[in-house]
Amino acid sequence: MKLAQIDQLDRIPVELEEKVRESVLNTFESILSEKLEYVKEENADGPLNGIIGNVTVFNAEHTISLMLAIPKDTALFLSKVFIGIELPFESDDMGDLVGEVSNILAGDVAANVEKVGFRGQSSLPTATRGSDLTLFMPSKPPTKKMKFASDNTSFLLTMVLSESN
Amino acid sequence: MAKIKALVVDDSKIMRSAVKRALNNLMLAEFEYVEAKDGEDAFEKFNEEIEIMFVDWNMPNMTGVEFSQAIREEGYDHIPIIMVTAEKSMGKVDKALNEGGANEYITKPFTADKMHKAISGYFDDDGAIAGSDDGDDEEEKSFFKGILNS
Repeated sequence: MKLAQIDQLDRIPVELEEKVRESVLNTFESILSEKLEYVKEENADGPLNGIIGNVTVFNAEHTISLMLAIPKDTALFLSKVFIGIELPFESDDMGDLVGEVSNILAGDVAANVEKVGFRGQSSLPTATRGSDLTLFMPSKPPTKKMKFASDNTSFLLTMVLSESN
Repeated sequence: MAKIKALVVDDSKIMRSAVKRALNNLMLAEFEYVEAKDGEDAFEKFNEEIEIMFVDWNMPNMTGVEFSQAIREEGYDHIPIIMVTAEKSMGKVDKALNEGGANEYITKPFTADKMHKAISGYFDDDGAIAGSDDGDDEEEKSFFKGILNS
């Protein structure tokens, strides 16, 4: 896949979007051991009380930024299924966990988008905890917000395609 | 059971704990762990008593592949290196196994079953290291095992 100049794109190419969505479903279903669904046309602009995991998949030309917005309840559930105990939400370990989940997602995304010609590598993840967080991205690069939900979880992924600097 | 000295290398404390818990649950051996937070830290903590290593790829300072290469270059070819990583592309698997000298490749998130399939061959019935599978059939090396384990 040859990507056009970012400023000529009015949206993220559909095949990239689909591969990222596929990776989210695969990764989280493996971790959660429950069915996860993509929630179409969900307004994803509400404030967040939770943790944000940030990671990128990049090459010399382009960067796919992935911002996972995980509400507190989902983070607690994730910790229970991932390590067998519910971590205190305010603990450093919780940040570590969300960072690791972001890292696992990025690994899957990197392998998956390669199938449509985007060859890149994943960055190290970061995690940010807070309350009443409003998620926004610079408006210029193509951005896609996606919501996902399962019986015990609900979270958002914001995907941004930008030029690598 | 013999006590196996295992080096667990991951920048995530949570993942180091997950690896240790999985190993303990498998009951292939009794383990004594040395933990390291990146390749550089692992290289400092490495010693000749280490019998098996579980190494993440994507870490600050020194990656898991760079660490594995460094260990192999030091002449420690007999110690099984199990890559436990989120990196899934075929190119990465190939690089870890061929350039990095890893013996096995497990992708995260891993299950106990996946871990068992990858490492059980390295232990004998008494819970001692049976030796890495360094036979001459390179194709049998974990390239395909890794894929099956993913």
